[in-house]
Order: sequence, then structure tokens, then C-alpha cells
Amino acid sequence: MLQTATRGLAAILVLGACSGPLLADEGKALNRGHEYMVTTNYPNNLHILDLATDSLYKTCQMPDAFGPGTVQLSPDRTIAYVLNNHYADIYGVELDTCKQVFHASITQQPGEKARSMFSFTVSHDGKELYTVANPTRMLNDRYEVQQPRLDVYATNAGMSAKPVRSFPAPRQLTIMQTGDDGSLYIAGPDIYKVNVQTGKFDVLVPSRHWKRPLYSAPDVLYVWNQQTYRHDFSLLYTAAKFKDKKEDPATADYVYGFFNIDLATGKTKTVDFGPLTEIYFSGMVSPKDPNLVFGVLNRLAKYDIKQKKMLQAATLDHSYYCISFNKAGSKIYLAGTFNDVAIFDAESLKPLGKIKLPGGDMAITTAQVFTR
Amino acid sequence: MKRTFRFASAGGLLALAVSLALQPQTSQAREAQAILKETCMACHTPEGENALSRISHQRKTPEGWLMSIARMQTMHQLKISDEDRRTLVKYLADNQGLAPSETDGVRYALERRLNTVEQFDDQTKQMCGRCHSGARVALQRRPAQEWERLVNFHLGQWPSLEYQALSRDRDWFDLARKEMVPLLAKRYPLDSKAWADWQKSMPKAEALVGDWSFSGHLPGKGELNGVMKVTAAEGDHFTLSVDGQYVDGSPFKGQGTAILYSGYEWRGNVDIDGVKMRQVFAANGAQLKGRMFEAAHDERGLDFIAARQDHPQLLAVQPGYLKAGSETEVSLIGSGLNGTPSFGKGVEVVKVLEQSPQRVRVLLKAAADAPAGLREVSVGALKGQQLAVYRDIAEVKVVPAFSVARIGDNGGATPKVQGRFDAEAWGRSAEGKAYRIGVFPAQWKVEPFDDRAREDEDVKFAGSMQTDAGVFTPGDAGPNPERKMSTNNAGNLKVIAAVDDAGKAHTGEGHLIVTVQRWNNPPIP
Repeated sequence: MLQTATRGLAAILVLGACSGPLLADEGKALNRGHEYMVTTNYPNNLHILDLATDSLYKTCQMPDAFGPGTVQLSPDRTIAYVLNNHYADIYGVELDTCKQVFHASITQQPGEKARSMFSFTVSHDGKELYTVANPTRMLNDRYEVQQPRLDVYATNAGMSAKPVRSFPAPRQLTIMQTGDDGSLYIAGPDIYKVNVQTGKFDVLVPSRHWKRPLYSAPDVLYVWNQQTYRHDFSLLYTAAKFKDKKEDPATADYVYGFFNIDLATGKTKTVDFGPLTEIYFSGMVSPKDPNLVFGVLNRLAKYDIKQKKMLQAATLDHSYYCISFNKAGSKIYLAGTFNDVAIFDAESLKPLGKIKLPGGDMAITTAQVFTR
Repeated sequence: MKRTFRFASAGGLLALAVSLALQPQTSQAREAQAILKETCMACHTPEGENALSRISHQRKTPEGWLMSIARMQTMHQLKISDEDRRTLVKYLADNQGLAPSETDGVRYALERRLNTVEQFDDQTKQMCGRCHSGARVALQRRPAQEWERLVNFHLGQWPSLEYQALSRDRDWFDLARKEMVPLLAKRYPLDSKAWADWQKSMPKAEALVGDWSFSGHLPGKGELNGVMKVTAAEGDHFTLSVDGQYVDGSPFKGQGTAILYSGYEWRGNVDIDGVKMRQVFAANGAQLKGRMFEAAHDERGLDFIAARQDHPQLLAVQPGYLKAGSETEVSLIGSGLNGTPSFGKGVEVVKVLEQSPQRVRVLLKAAADAPAGLREVSVGALKGQQLAVYRDIAEVKVVPAFSVARIGDNGGATPKVQGRFDAEAWGRSAEGKAYRIGVFPAQWKVEPFDDRAREDEDVKFAGSMQTDAGVFTPGDAGPNPERKMSTNNAGNLKVIAAVDDAGKAHTGEGHLIVTVQRWNNPPIP
């Protein structure tokens, strides 16, 4: 027993020695006014990149298993909330210290197993965290799928947060952002404006149920919950635009477009920006020029929104899923899949370099660029 | 990390699939009812006499029951010995199985014919067949409540299901409950006359003991025939001895074991010339029919039919064609073959080269003016097989016309899945009717399917086709740094077979997708 205990202690000491430099690094505070990017990858890292030098600033280790690794930042950009552990838990990590300051399990009711499908964000004042749980009751010999619910947590609730309010929610909900007036915008079959006090869901932007003459219903698979410098909430869609009332898919034009909600004013837009010629996982309007939208998957492409045409496309070394801009709108940062962030000049679409990350695949992460 | 888990679970299911087809039961095997009580009742609620919630309200194939129990093991931490699991699968398949007529039309899934293009209505294809075969659904019987619980299980287990293409455009859960559940309960009900009748008339396993004459065809290799000796072992088990040969004379010999489920579902494990092969047959009286395939490569398999030797039948004509004005050797395969075969007007038996109850080998001559088309073959009173006489080949078809090969190996746990093809010649009768002549030797190659495949050099990367046999071996798994964007060795190819007919070349074309590994590979796809 004594021997075992001693060996155990020795092991701890050795471990401590190894992780010393790492811990010191984790405690490195971010600098006010500097611009950073956060992204996540396997096995379970939260990386902070310094965009002044385009290099890795530090890495925070996160608990549990990785996936999807979606990041939402507090409004003061001091805490990164990460949906992780196979869509089952949200952790809040203080960026200056890498310290965990918040944890909520998506599973809340006795006997249920719940997952959140990319569906969470922080309120405009940073005091509340919203998430949609898709629960299933796990009975002895069967499952019962339950109605999804919108759970509201206080961000100061610590490491075993319980919802302060819960409301029934529609099925198939995904990403969300909050407006400056406290409204919550959630994407799903349509885009809803939700009153977080009453739990009332109103259709703000019809999507599956839009009434655009000669258009098919749009297809929307958008799970990149980006917090943009334009301060908007945006999702790409594709749709068929038919020639006539016969609605023949063979002769239809296929278009790319985006839904957009201005988070300051609540104003909405549904905009076709070009013909559908290739798939983009994520897209973003330039922070500098509201007439330019960029999309990425197998290529990085730039579109003129007014002219509805592709201006230019850059080839990529491999697929990237998640696009971000720096504040000036001069550089594009591509994350998702593999473990490098590719940097492109937003004007010329020329590659500017890569930031290699420790660890593995970023998979379906949502990275965020922000100024501290 | 994600991959590691998938490898592990795919490997687990494969291992389970191996165990379905046998190992003799020991005499200490516990009674199935005792196992159900001691092992399953921990979660399943007793309902009246010897019934348990969920379990007693479903009927399935042996593979279906195996998959359910395996899921309890992998997802619900069920602890059960392999022996007890075998006992349960046997008991449940025998007592809550499917009648032969209830598996008609969907046996391809049990037989691992993974290139089958399924025929289901659009709603079933989209709601179910989007993720797994429609056959997996069609091979189960449940009342509405059990179908509804299956829907709940699906969405509870895979919450991303309602966000995928062909789900996110509709209220998936509502449609599944309100439209699919009633439809499935009506189409595949728990109670059926077919099963009630079959339970009364189900033959005993002993009825299959004896010598069986068999005929087969292995794409890319050719026809074969021989004799399989079946002897009885305990508890509906058999031991087998296979003695046959391909038409080119190469051997097809081995030993193995088999088990009979539900009175007709024959599952065998045979070592043929050092290669482990599975048998998935349906027994129908004195006939066994199905597919025999390599355990590690189910794409390498043969259509198999066998006749018990005490029951005269004509199984096959090898080869089943003859050119007008030419002579060729033809073998008739069957049981109880007796007398000189007859091939109809214009086809003469020049000589009987060999005669046994299982095989009659003859030298045939077709007159130059023999009418082109199919003709009935008879030996004594036995009929049921045809011979094609042709003058010219009108068309060559690549079979299968659409298929999937998969990259593999290269340090990964999943082997490559080959493409296996035949060149099938078709003729045109005097009346202008198309008829199948048969499988011909051909020269094989692949080409890019479209401009994108050409640009991406799919022919160079996706794999290679054996020129003198329709065998395509795909490329290595994993990212390929030599390809654009380091993509893997997937490809979109045309398969081209050129058949020579007296100096005249006929080509046929098929479509081959070379894609990534099948990570999730349960016994019923």
C-alpha cells in the first residue's frame, strides 16, 4: 500500500513537472484591444490565436470529449462557451486563465438523455445562456422522444447550472443569436424571434414556409453559429427558381442566398447572391463591403451580391468548413477539418499562410474572431 | 478519435455476424426461456405467460434477432455469453421468425447482395431507406405500437437524424409517427396467416440431410458444380462436405457446418480451399437456393442452387448457350438425371461425354439454320432450364449495371471491397424479341464516368481493373497527398466490357462508384 501510494505521488510530481510550462501558458492573459481567434479541435483543445502575428497564443484544455466544439463568446469577449462532449454539455472557459467558470448539462430532467444540435448562445448582456435541448426519456425497455425545450441559464450559476426558465420549443432547431433588445433569434424550420421571458416563438423569417413565387422551399443546413463584426445573424440557403408554374426541376435555375438579421435593429433580409454551382458549408458578408459575400468548402469564393455573380474563387489545399474575417475585413481565416487555419487576402484571395494547431481535426467547429 | 470508435463498433458487429453462422451447440445449452428470464427480464417487463415487453411483439430473421441482441450489448451494456446469444437467436427465429413468403423479394439483404437497387415507394425510401436498406424494415413484423417505439428509438439514439437531407425539409418525427407507423403496421403486421400456416407446416431439419447436387456462378470466375453432403448434428445443426469444381477444372472443395432457423433459413460456414465462406440459403422442399460468399469479402460470392439427390431436378445448363452452326460441350446439372437430354429442333446431341445422376456432359451441335432464341431443355421428364441459341450478339450488358466498390486497407481496419462484373450477351430472336444468351469472356477496362472524373484523374487513382476478368480492385484508403486537395481514392467510373463474337467486338457499359469504407456494417445492411 505504502509503495503504491509513494509511486502514485511520484507520478503526480512528474506529471506536475511536465505540465508546468503548459499551465503557465494557460494563464497568459489576453491583451485589451488585440484581435484574436478562438477555435477548437481534437482531443479537446480550445486554441486562442493572436491575429497580430497570426500565430498560436495559447491553448486551453477542456474536459470531457470533443464535439462539436462550437464556440460562443460572452459580449465582453472574456469567456468562451463551448458546446462539447458529443453535444451533451456546455462549458464556459475564462480566456485569460483557461479556468472553467460555467457548466451546464443539456440533460436536465431525471431519466432523460438530451442533446443540443449547435443550439446555444449568450444573451446580449452576458447574464444568460440559452440552449435548445432535444430530450429523450430513456425508459427500461423503450425510448420516448420528448418535445424540445428552450432552457435559460444564468451565466453566473457555476459548474452545475440549472435552468432558471424552460419553455417548450419546436423541433429541428439549430443555431441562435441574441439581438440588442434581448430578443432571441433561433433558426429551424423557419427563423423564430423568441421572447426569452415568456417563451413565445414567432416566425420572423419564413424559411421552409416562405412564399416566394416560383421558388422551391429552401434547403438550409447551417450549423456555424458565427458572431460577426457586422453584428448580424446569417445563414446560407439554396433553392430552385422555376421557369414557370409547372415547377420543373430540370429547367429550374438553382440559387444560393442568405437569410440575415441585423442584431442591432432586428431588420431581416432574404437575399439571393448567385447561382448554385458548388456547395459552401459556411459563408459571411465582408465586414468592409456589404455587397460582398464569401463562401467556403472546397473553394473559397467571393460573390457580388447586387450583380448576383461569383467574382473570384481560390483553390484550397483541403476542405475548410468555417469562414471568419478580421475586423478590418482584409483577411479571411478558414477553420474546420484538419488542424490548420488558412489565411487568405480578402481582396485578392491569395493565400497568406497557415497557422498549424496542436492536436487533431477541428471537424465541425465554429471558430470566432474577436477584439478583446 | 471519432474514427477509432467507428472502427471498434464496425469490428464488433462483424465479429457478431461471424458468430451467427454457427459453432455447434453444447448439450449444456441453457433453455431459451431461462435465458430470457434471467438475462432479458432485467429491462423487459413480464407480460402474462412467458411473454416479455417488446421482445414478444416482434418477428424477425435470425440476422434481425442477432442485431437486436447485439445492440443491447453495444448500447445497453447487456452481458450475455456467445452461447446464450446463439440459443436465443435460434429460439426467437424459430418461434418469432418470418415465413418464407414474408422474405420473398428482400432476401438480397440477407444474402449480402449490396449492389441491389431497391424497389420501394418514395416515402419508404426517404423515411427509412435513406440510412439503411429498405429490406431491413421489410424483414421485420410488428404491431403499430412497436413500429412507433422503433421510430422513438431512432430519433432518441440519433438526434441528428431529423436535421439531415430528406429530413430537414419536413416534420420528420410527425410524418414518421402519423404516416409511416400506420403504413408499416399494415404492410408488415405482427400477425399473419403466412407465419401461422408456416408454423404448423414447418419441416424438420432432418429433411435436409442427404447428398445435394449444386450449381453456381461466381462473377469474374465462372460456373461451377458439385455435390454437397449434409449430415445431421444436434439441434438443427449439420456438418457439410463440399466437393465440386469450376468449369475451368479448378477445385471447389471444403468442409463446414450449418444450422437451420425457422424451418428454412439455412446458414452455413464452410472452408473452401482455405477460404472461409458463408452460406445464406432458403430451403424449399428438396431445393436450397441463395448465395455463398467469402466471409471477409462478401462481394466475392456465388449464386447457388442445390437439389437433394433423392428428388430429381434439373438445376442448370452450363454454359447455357450455343452459336448456330457450331459445336460445343454443355453440362446439365441436377439430381436424378437419367436418359439423353433433348434441346429442341436444330440442336443435336453429337455425343454423350459423361453421364451421372448429377451431371450429364454432352457435345452439342446447332444447325446453321437453327432458330435463334431460348429453348426448353429436358432430360427424361425433367424440365425447367433453357438453352439459348444465337446467331449474333445484339448487345452486351455489364452486370451489375450499377455498383459500388470501396477503398480500404492501407493500415485501416476495413478491407477493400472489390467490384465484380460479368459481361452478359443478349440476342434478338427472329421475332425481334431480346433474349439473354449468357455470360461471355470479355476484355475489361474502366474510363472516367464524366468530365469531373476525367479532370480528377479517377482512373489513375480509384483502382485497377483486371483486363481478362471483370474484377476491379479499388485503391488504398485514406487521404492521398498526390491527389488534388489530398482527397482519398474515390472515383466515378465507367466499366467497359468488350466481347469478341467471331472477330466482331461488342461493348457494354456499367457505372461503378468507388467510395469510402462502409464503417457500419451489420449483418442486414
